[in-house]
Formats: sequence, structure tokens, C-alpha cells
Amino acid sequence: MLSLRSDPKLFELAQRVEYFAREKFNMTLPEMRFFILDPMEFAALLEKNVYPTSPINIWEGKSIANKKHRIESGQESALYYEVVQTGNPSYAYLNETNSALTQASVMAHVAGHCEFSELNVLHDSDMDRTEYVMHLVRKVDLGRQQMGERRYIDYWNACESALPFIAPNSQYNLENSIDKETTIATSTMESTEAPKTQKPPVSLVDETLNALLKPGPAKPFVEMEKKRERHEALSRRGYSLRAPCQDILGFLRQYAPTSQAEHAILDYLYTAHMHQDFVVRTQIMNEGWAMYWEKKIMMELFAEDAVRGAIDYAKVFSGVCYPRPYYQRNPYHLGYHMWLHIEELYREGKMSLDYHEETDLDTKQEWEKPEEKVDPQASMRHLVKSITDYEFLRRFLTVELVERFHLNRLDQRTAQQLGIKNEDIIKADRRWVWLRPEPIKNEMLGFFAHFYRPRIYIIDTDYLDGGLLLMHRDDGRNLRADWIRPTLNNLNRIWKAPVYLLSQNKLYATRADGYKESTVKGITFEEAAERLSRQQQPFKI
Amino acid sequence: MDVDRISSDESEGFFNDFIDEQLNDLVEDIINDGDLDRTDASGSDLIVEVDDIEPPTLVYGDQGGGGAGQGGGKPGDEKGKLKFEVPFERFMELVANKLQLPNLLKEGQGKIKEVSYHFKTFGPVGVLLDKKRTFKRALRSSISTGVYCPAEGRFDVEVRRKDRRYKVPQRVETPKFKAVVFYMGDISYSTFGERLELEKRLLNFTHHWLDFNYGKNNVEHRFFVHDIEAYEVTPEQFYQVSNIGGTRASLVFDLVSNIAFNEYDPATTNFYGFYVGDGELFGNDAKEIVEIIKEQLHPMFNRLALVEIQPSRMSCLNAEVSKAFGSDRVVRTCALKSKGEIIKTIKRMFEERHA
Repeated sequence: MLSLRSDPKLFELAQRVEYFAREKFNMTLPEMRFFILDPMEFAALLEKNVYPTSPINIWEGKSIANKKHRIESGQESALYYEVVQTGNPSYAYLNETNSALTQASVMAHVAGHCEFSELNVLHDSDMDRTEYVMHLVRKVDLGRQQMGERRYIDYWNACESALPFIAPNSQYNLENSIDKETTIATSTMESTEAPKTQKPPVSLVDETLNALLKPGPAKPFVEMEKKRERHEALSRRGYSLRAPCQDILGFLRQYAPTSQAEHAILDYLYTAHMHQDFVVRTQIMNEGWAMYWEKKIMMELFAEDAVRGAIDYAKVFSGVCYPRPYYQRNPYHLGYHMWLHIEELYREGKMSLDYHEETDLDTKQEWEKPEEKVDPQASMRHLVKSITDYEFLRRFLTVELVERFHLNRLDQRTAQQLGIKNEDIIKADRRWVWLRPEPIKNEMLGFFAHFYRPRIYIIDTDYLDGGLLLMHRDDGRNLRADWIRPTLNNLNRIWKAPVYLLSQNKLYATRADGYKESTVKGITFEEAAERLSRQQQPFKI
Repeated sequence: MDVDRISSDESEGFFNDFIDEQLNDLVEDIINDGDLDRTDASGSDLIVEVDDIEPPTLVYGDQGGGGAGQGGGKPGDEKGKLKFEVPFERFMELVANKLQLPNLLKEGQGKIKEVSYHFKTFGPVGVLLDKKRTFKRALRSSISTGVYCPAEGRFDVEVRRKDRRYKVPQRVETPKFKAVVFYMGDISYSTFGERLELEKRLLNFTHHWLDFNYGKNNVEHRFFVHDIEAYEVTPEQFYQVSNIGGTRASLVFDLVSNIAFNEYDPATTNFYGFYVGDGELFGNDAKEIVEIIKEQLHPMFNRLALVEIQPSRMSCLNAEVSKAFGSDRVVRTCALKSKGEIIKTIKRMFEERHA
């Protein structure tokens, strides 16, 4: 791994890229540090979630062995386009085998990602992220020595089962699901102060008579009991659940009983993987934003002759930005063209109230009334600051754009394999099939509800006295049956108490006396959420 | 950042150790069920498949599986399977560890030496002048004495006696290993089908095992078959042969004994003999075999193993041989009843002493 300063030409190029990004385009950037890696270092970096170090583990070993074999046998090129770990500072890595032109485009692309992470509403740019993860790696290494090899491997492998259940940006994340002593204290203070203003003047006689003659709906004893139970739970465990919690690994990291070494493993795995949630929720906007600024900066570099090979760059660019059908959407292509479209909307004044209120279609079609005070790029930045992919698509992806970006186009063979019905096809030629574009937007938005993964939530942390009850939010699909038991066993190893899973009308349990499956009367996710909000036990046998 | 190189070597080593453990557990299955007979005498790599490893988690029913990795060999890529090319040598090491078979190289080591002379060192006296070295020394001393000085137009190189360097022969003694292995197979009608397959599988493994121990070039493998006659065949013919006729086994022992005595020097050769058949012999055949072993083979051979494949009530060879040799150091008798007993049989064939 070499510092960029070891290559004076590249270093100069990086400075030019930064100059255009910061000075010419006013991009909001953290400090960016570039390093040069050889291809095998690159492969290793990717297996370490784009951090330079990672604790020893079998899964990384398996992936790298497989990758090496694929590279050696020519099945994989080992040429990666861009790899960056955002944060402040951001660490970006260049492949030593790339040409100067490619390095320049990678650096410009990285600038786009860094700004996006810095500005976006989910703000994926924390201070010293890479350094912190490296610190956690050292803690895990120390923990490994404390635990001994066998226990370390077992615990790590158990944690791997919980890795897909990281959701720091979910509606049901830790912050929105868990009451801690501090949060409950605040809410109690607010709730006790609010009714005071509505209280009628005290009249002892009236109060006594009313209480005797007109018993109201309120049952102070029951309410007090509930409050007492809640406070008891808080004082015993330090938290209580007020809504289903989708950030399962986050919860275990905070509240599972662990030794220091075990906590170090949970801490590392959560911290190193939590940013994937940001990536998956913003990938289209993020990659599109990076491509948008990459091209702008590259044009400046070509103009001042800092790099040469505009034709080669055009080829590479179109190679990256090629269309794919909606279910395999290419975020580079879709994001880039969406941003271009939005820029055009702002430039032509089509985001104005006048445009939306215009009823004449012909006028709308020929609309070009730029608003004087609106700077398209500033407006685009405002979008970055306020929305993620779901809203981006919901607001801007139209039926016309679905067709223009070929999101509804499949090749004939795939269409046959997928068993597409004739009534869904609007056009076909020898090579392609075009689907009806109308349902595609909703299909694409559906992805952001489940990300093609089952939705699992914690709905009770004290089920049958100390058990962790998970719930699979039913969407008509079954879970892989032979993996339920080992997964629950692994979660049991972390929680150190019984773990239950409620999926449809089945209750799976891993307890000290073994594994059991039983048929129960299932509940819906909404019922569970509502009961939790009312401080009731969400599920009883 | 205080990192010199980004690498996953430690984790890869960790994974390879895991795969080695898996292979260790698989050795038995590979010998019993694997396509060892497809591994030719050149010792090509074995392709080993194990179930893929994946951390279990909650996924939809139609997901999961897939991937590949690397152990002692190179990984392939097939969904749900880890596929490895395990080098033949590595596999044989694993077999040796697993089965704890004796190291056959010990036989004869230190007794018989092969002497050769290598010209690896150089000295001031000798017969064969090393011109290159001599010239180098002469040039060096000519420069230092000023005889050779191109700047002043002197280009002479003076070769003095002490500049001369001669090649000096060095006596190299290497232990001389030589082994000849006689494989004797019964191909009579009664060994039809699974019996014949088991015969070939067992001898094939033995073949590789001895090659591995002695080195491929130090072992001569000779194959013999018999029905009512005995004759020598090539290895290819041996592994492709199908059943021919009736049974007379003593002929093959007699033939082997003649060849061993007439074609090899018993003082410098390790002899091994492996007979496999159903043991269903008639008349005095078994007794004649015992006689041949006692008088001709036993004094010469390091090991002579007789294996009855799926013995029946009519199998009498081992009973007869055991009566004569009991717990002998050289002669082993064993029975292979099913594919699952190959390991047990091999152990017995090679074990140092009778259990």
C-alpha cells in the first residue's frame, strides 16, 4: 500500500481534481486520502469491507481464496473501478494497474461519493471512521487471545447469523423502538407537565362526589400498575421495547449479556457492516451523483489537458452507464440519467408551482421558463440533503422515464425463463421484449420495503421470562426451513437465554432443553406493533 | 495509517486449516467411494468435493447456498459445493497420517548404498582443469600485477600455476532403494462383478501407496492375472480386464516366484506381493500355494498379503495359509467383505505385526 505522494504525477492529478471539486463546483468535501494498491491488496480490501485491517475469520478466508482462484483462472479481472470508505477523513483506494485517465476518473467519482455521504439526510460521514474500525480490530484481536481460539470462532460464527439484521436507518431502528432510562425520563417529564394546563380548578367536594357517583373511564390503578411494571423493567434491564425493533444486531450489541471480548466482536461487526444499510437505501442517488460529478470534473481536466484520452473515457463511461431491466437496475445508469433529468427540470422551470398548476398539455410540453433565483445544482443538493432512493424514485421516476431508461426491456431468453405473460408485453423484436411500464415503478419502490430479504423484528425481550421473541413479518413467503434451527441456536449463543421465532402460525424455540417447533395462532405485524405501543405483551400462547 | 500491506493471508490460512481438517475427515470416504482408480500412475491431482460452508441465517426458502474455497489445493466453483484439486502427494500424506501406515522407506535404508561422483568442488590440484574459473583468477591477478592494463595498451593475461583450478570429484553415497511389487488378481468367473471391482480398487490404492513411499521411479509394478492359467499383463490391461474362466491360483504364485528369483537381486530389492481373489480354490491348489510361499517367497519377500474378496463358505485359501503362517512377520491374510472395509483391509495388509 503506497501513499499517493509516492507517485508525483498522480498526486498532482489528485490536486487538480480536488481543486475543481472544491473551488469550481463548490462541493462539500471532507478530507480525502488516496492510496495506491496492487490488485491482490484490492481484492483483500474488498473482503474487509473496505477497511485496511480486519480480525482473522474463516469467511473472509473463504472469499479471498475463491477470489484468488477466480483471478488466477481468468474468471475475474481484479480490476476494480473505485473503492472508497467515506467518513472524515475519507479513504479512497486506487488500483496501481489502472491508467492515469482511469485514476483521474476514479478520484473524481470518489469526490462525488464523499459529498453525497456528507450531505445526505442519512449523513454517512462520521469522524475517523476508518481509524475507529482499526481500533476495534485491535480490540477483537485482544479479545481472541482472551477467549481462546475455539470460543472465538464459535462466537464469531454465531454473530455471522445476525449480520443481515442490521438496520440503523429503518423506521424500526433502535432509537425508535427502545425506551432507555434517559428517554423514558424525558417523556415522563413531558407527559406530567402537559395535563397540568388542562386541569380544572380543584374542588374537593366535587372531586369526591364525582369519583363516587360517576366513575370515569380512567382506571388509575391499572395505569399505575402498568407504569410501575414499565419502570421495573427499566430499572432491571435499563430498557424496554415500545415498538418492534428491526436492528437486531444493534440491539444485541447494546443489550446482550457479553464479556468484554464478546462485546468487542459484536462492536466490530456492527460498526464495520452498518454502513451497508446506507448504501442500499441510497445507491441509485449516490452512484448517479458520483457519475454526475465525475463527468463534470473530467471535462474540466480534459479542457486544461491535465489528462488525455477523451474518447477512451467516453467508452469507459458508456461501459459503466449501460441500461439493465428494473429488477437488476444499474444504479450508475439509472442514477446518472435521473440526475440529468432533474437538472433539466430545474433548468427549464418545470419544478415550479406554475408548471404544476398549468392545465394545458401543449403549454406544459413546450414549457421553458427558467426561474431566475433557482440554481439547478443547489436545488439538486437540496434534494440530496432531504431524501433517499425511495422518495427519489417515487417523486421523479415517471412512466416515460421507465421507457427512456429501458427499465422495462428484457432480452427474449430472460423473458422466456421468467415466464412473462403476453398481456404484460407491449412490444417485441427478435432480441428484446418490452413490458408494460406502468407497474414497474411500484415494483421498484417495493424493493425499499424489504430489500429482497425477510423482515425480522424483535417484538419481546422478556418472552416467557427472559426470552427474545423475534417475528417474521409475513409476506406470503416461507423462510428456509433447515436454516431456522441453526440460526436460532446462534442467536441463543449471543443472547444467552431462550430465543423464539414467530413465523406465520409457527413458533420456533431454542431453549436450554433443546429446540422445539409448535403450531400457534399467529398475529399480524400491525397487531404486534399496536400492542407494544399500548405497553401490552405482543404475543401470548 | 500504520498498515504496510493490506492482506487476507491470515484469514485465508485459517480457512485452509479448516479445509485440511475436512479433508482429513474425508480421506476414508475418498478411499472407499472416491474415483481413485481414475488417478493414473502419474499421480495427477484428485478432485474432492465437500459441502459448501455458509453462515446460516433467516432467508427465504429459495435462497442460500453457493460459493467455493481453497484448501490444500485449488478451488473450483459449483453452487452448493466446495471443489478442490488436492495434489496427489498431499492426499497420500493425509492417508498416511490417517491410517498410520508404516513408512516403507525404512526397508533397506543404510544398508545398500549407491555410489556416484559429482564434480561439485574445485581445488588447486587435479586432472580436469576448470578453464572458466582459472581464467577468472588469472585475469584478476593480471590486473593487480599490472600485466593487463587496457588504459596503457597492455592486454596480456598471465596464467600462473597458482591460478589453476581443477574440478575435484566428490564421492556421493545415496541409499539405494528398489522395490518390485507383484500384483496377482483372480479373474475367474467366480469373481464376477462387485468382487472384481473391489479387487481393482484395493490394488489400485496399494499401487499408489507404494509409489508414494518409494518414489515413482524406484518401484516396479508387475501385474499378473490367473484363471486356470497365469500370465503377466500390463497395468492398463489389468485394470480393464474382465472375467475369463476357471480357477487355479498356485500357478500365479509359481510364476511370480520364478520371476522374482530370476530377474531381480534379492540382496538389493524389496519384494512385495499382493494376491486378491475370492479364495475359492479346488483340490490341492491352496496347499501348493502354501508350499510355494514357504519355500520360495517367504525368504525373499518383505510383505506378502493375501486378500479374500467377499469370501464365501467355499473360500479356503486364507484358512490354509493362516494355518501355516499364523502371526508371521511377512505373510498377511485378510478378508474384504464390502467397500466400507477397504481401510481396515489396507491397514492389515501393511501393519507391522499381526494384531
